[in-house]
Amino acid sequence: MAIAGATSVALLATACSSGGSGDGESSDGKITLTVSTFNEWGYDDLLDEYMELNPDITVVHDKAATSDEAREKFNTGMASGSGLADVAGVEVDWMPEIMQYEDQFTDLTSDSVEGRWQDWKTAQATTPDGKLLGYGTDIGPEAIAYRADLFEAAGLPSDPASVAELFGGEDSSWDDFYAVGDQFMAAGTGVPFYDASSTIYQGQINQVEKSYEDPDTNEIIALDNPEVKDIYQGVLDHADLSAGLSQWSEDWTAAFQNNGFAVMLAPSWMLGVIEGNAAGVEGWDIANVFPGGGGNWGGSFLTVPAQSEHPEEAKALADWLTAPEQQIKAFQTTGNYPSQVEAQKSDELAGITNEFFNNAPIGQIFAEQADRISVNPYKGPQYFAINTEMADAINRVTVDKTDDAASSWEKFETAVKALG
Amino acid sequence: MATSTAPAPVSPGSVDDPRPPRKIGFRQQLGKWDVKLSPYLYISPFFLLFAVVGLFPLLYTAWVSVHEWSLLGGQGDFVGMENFSFILQQPFFWKALGNTFSIFVLSTIPQMIAALIIAAMLDANLRAKTFWRMGVLLPYVVAPVAVALIFSKLFADGSGVINTLLGYVGIDPVGWHSQSLPAHVAISTMVNFRWTGYNALIFLAAMQAIPRDLYEAATIDGAARWRQFRSITIPMLRPTVIFVVITSTIGGLQIYDEPRMYDQAGKGGSSGQWLTLTLYLRDLGWRQNNLGRAAAVAWMLFLVIIVFAILNFLLTRLIASSGARKAKKQDTKLAAIPAASSPSATPVTDQVIEPGTDDTSGRTAR
Amino acid sequence: MSTSIPMLEQSAGRGAARAAARKRKQTQTSEGRRAGWVTYAILTIVILGSAYPLYYALQLSSSTASEIAQNPIPGLGLGGNLLDNLQRVMDANINLPQAFLNSVIVAVVTSASVVLFSTLAGFSFAKLRFRGRGPLLVFVIATMAVPTQLGVVPLFIVMRELGLVGNLLSVILPGLVTAFGVFWMTQYLESALPYELIEAARVDGASMIRTFWHVALPAARPAAAMLALFTFIGSWTNFFWPSIVLGTQNPTLPVALQLLQASFFKDMSLIMAGVVISVIPLLVLFVIAGRQLVAGIMAGAVKG
Repeated sequence: MAIAGATSVALLATACSSGGSGDGESSDGKITLTVSTFNEWGYDDLLDEYMELNPDITVVHDKAATSDEAREKFNTGMASGSGLADVAGVEVDWMPEIMQYEDQFTDLTSDSVEGRWQDWKTAQATTPDGKLLGYGTDIGPEAIAYRADLFEAAGLPSDPASVAELFGGEDSSWDDFYAVGDQFMAAGTGVPFYDASSTIYQGQINQVEKSYEDPDTNEIIALDNPEVKDIYQGVLDHADLSAGLSQWSEDWTAAFQNNGFAVMLAPSWMLGVIEGNAAGVEGWDIANVFPGGGGNWGGSFLTVPAQSEHPEEAKALADWLTAPEQQIKAFQTTGNYPSQVEAQKSDELAGITNEFFNNAPIGQIFAEQADRISVNPYKGPQYFAINTEMADAINRVTVDKTDDAASSWEKFETAVKALG
Repeated sequence: MATSTAPAPVSPGSVDDPRPPRKIGFRQQLGKWDVKLSPYLYISPFFLLFAVVGLFPLLYTAWVSVHEWSLLGGQGDFVGMENFSFILQQPFFWKALGNTFSIFVLSTIPQMIAALIIAAMLDANLRAKTFWRMGVLLPYVVAPVAVALIFSKLFADGSGVINTLLGYVGIDPVGWHSQSLPAHVAISTMVNFRWTGYNALIFLAAMQAIPRDLYEAATIDGAARWRQFRSITIPMLRPTVIFVVITSTIGGLQIYDEPRMYDQAGKGGSSGQWLTLTLYLRDLGWRQNNLGRAAAVAWMLFLVIIVFAILNFLLTRLIASSGARKAKKQDTKLAAIPAASSPSATPVTDQVIEPGTDDTSGRTAR
Repeated sequence: MSTSIPMLEQSAGRGAARAAARKRKQTQTSEGRRAGWVTYAILTIVILGSAYPLYYALQLSSSTASEIAQNPIPGLGLGGNLLDNLQRVMDANINLPQAFLNSVIVAVVTSASVVLFSTLAGFSFAKLRFRGRGPLLVFVIATMAVPTQLGVVPLFIVMRELGLVGNLLSVILPGLVTAFGVFWMTQYLESALPYELIEAARVDGASMIRTFWHVALPAARPAAAMLALFTFIGSWTNFFWPSIVLGTQNPTLPVALQLLQASFFKDMSLIMAGVVISVIPLLVLFVIAGRQLVAGIMAGAVKG
């Protein structure tokens, strides 16, 4: 008796409560849009602001922890034809992968965004026949974040200008970088130089134009490309400078609080992460220098999948979010450096400083570093997968310590061949 | 012997039957249908649901596995067994198979033993029964995601609680995330944590079904607790043990949540130290976007599960049987339909009565 | 010689049945094996082990992120930030109350349905004769071998065709009846439901369904209660499938928890606060339903 009663009541309740949720419209005519991002884009306050400006729109924010996770969710959503957000964030590393399926996206070409970004950024989101599939959000110009107090303890200069000189200033090279590392380690403070070898690799591979795939044929060249092998070998030769951590792992997070390392390659979006993990730690600063010419790590786009039931409103939201004013606000909150030309040149940006990092003028620093970016690496559909294998290869040697450079490379080869 | 003078029995409705044919009323016909069809009707919800939720995906996946099938691009060419042969040549597949098996063994065996012991403890006359019994179910209540988060903090290589404690005692930190066996131990611990209490309660329910008279009789005969456990409890639990072993086998070979959450990347470690088959499947399908190969792995996993389930069934029956030789027959199940081959019926063994035991005390009249 | 309680109820009425049950309980406990201190000691260790991770979560949820990073072992007490963190979690952009409600709906409906259909099927397999009974039962068990991962994409396609993606029904429907449930009830009813009772009902002219409703279901109560509990908890903690098919707009609690983890992935204290919130309802359920269940298990013991 009771069971039957309960079942029927509950089924009724189900039908009522979830009736409105599948189609994004609630009974009072409001529209609900979903925005999906990963890591930290600084959108929380912005979305609240948008909702205030547009009272008949509710925005739900779906956050994935990492770009990896976001990509998996995205792929599943695309494969099954439903489940994607109305405004979906995509990282540049896997943008080429999904752009292969251009029918799945709404063409976002619009006059309002004319000239908003540099050509190379727009190009990353444009199909061969000219459809614009994504609005650029941020880019990731890199500088070097360091612990001034640990540098001092090692007898090295610790103010930003001198540290920049120490690393070689304008002409800094990766050899200079490693040399400073050796110097630091020789001082014997007991603290490793940098956090993870895989990040040093990332910094360098993002400066190579043709790394894993041939731009014309998309054929995988990773295994035969001497540049890839050299960077791999170089990073592992200097493994003694590394703290042997795996980025984003528990130990890596904890290391921020325990003097785990003195230096980190810092794309602008990493600042928020450092601040979060190193809460309460003093001594972090940023040097306006980056080895090997400018480097860009990351950078994303907002897309509007064709699945969306409100493409017009979604497009409008994406437009607003990627407008220069909004991106500057995001930069202020979490360090997501604007990809918009106007924002980059603005005075407002130039004046932004970050208290946690010893009031470093981050607006200026990253603007200068962004200017130095000269290489736009080609990333084909397999880029993400190959890069993941490479990260594993490096971690096998430096984190797990199960392999040496040669055997780990062999495993990398096997894995990459399986991808084909 | 005098032959009976009664007429030979005649089947109703046959030509020789002198009685007028009995008309079956509609109500009675309904009644007949009721008896005949009801069983099928009653079991149909399960099978219907399974057809949609279990069978269709199974067949669909088989279809996918013989094609080149990209996650995003959709169906490609028919490639026959190519996906299967490719997978069988991948070192990662064999690694995953080995890992899955290892984690399975590490998680199932200690768990079974612990669950049996805990159930035996709970079966005793305890004060505050509810508290103890519900208490062991506590881990089952915490979502696997949460358990993984908690345990990953405990088992972190550098900053984890366990390695820190080991450090206090002077033992080197264990490579929980860098080496295979420690990783397996950590993951098995998570699985055991979650399921031991659950299985203990299942065993408990079965133990409670064992009539106390048996134990009383055995105590009177001077059998010690352990002897009673071995000769009464375990054999009577045999069907339950088999059931639990099979479900644990199936579940254990499929584990996904725990290895997935064991680190951020979710690839089972840089060299696949804790890569299980389901994790490998996920990786193939959703990271490498190759659904065809993922489907092939899924089917091979299915076959592995069936093989292992059968193996374990036979094994458990063998082990539990050796205790059953001395067990007494319990007659409650005579109430069941004679024709039924009930899986829970213990074989009728006649002359197996404990020496010195009174014939009538242990057997219930039925 | 002893008759089962349900049998007594039929022949001698409810009062007699209850009296007999009480008497049997007394007989059992007074002559049963008494637990020694060893038993209590082992059980205490087990309970402590079971509870520690939960306590650890509580500890973490009551401190702050930096405290956690600095002290791998939190010591023994609780920090002071519990209410703060709980507040922040509730204020977060994830609709926890809705997720909570969704979880409740799904769990209740699923449990009721599983118990009903499993008992129905179990009754058939255990007590009724029909062709193919043996093989079909084996088939039921075999279906448990089908891995969930296998069916995710096809199932998603089915749900999409039915237009149920994002609707709670997409999570409820696949779980309406489980092989485990069918097997569990079959096992139990085999020994707990004497054929005499069924016969008696049939002789009285009851149809199959009435027989089921008035004889089988009551007899199955203890096992049904356990099945309901297991199913409820299983449904409550189910993560994988809901995360795929429900997404952000209509999540259940574990999915919301994962969203929380993603949003605050650097702040363990907040994540653990979310964990604590998700566990509390089940603990409440324990306290309420615990007594019934133990009684249920006990009643099930007194047969034959």
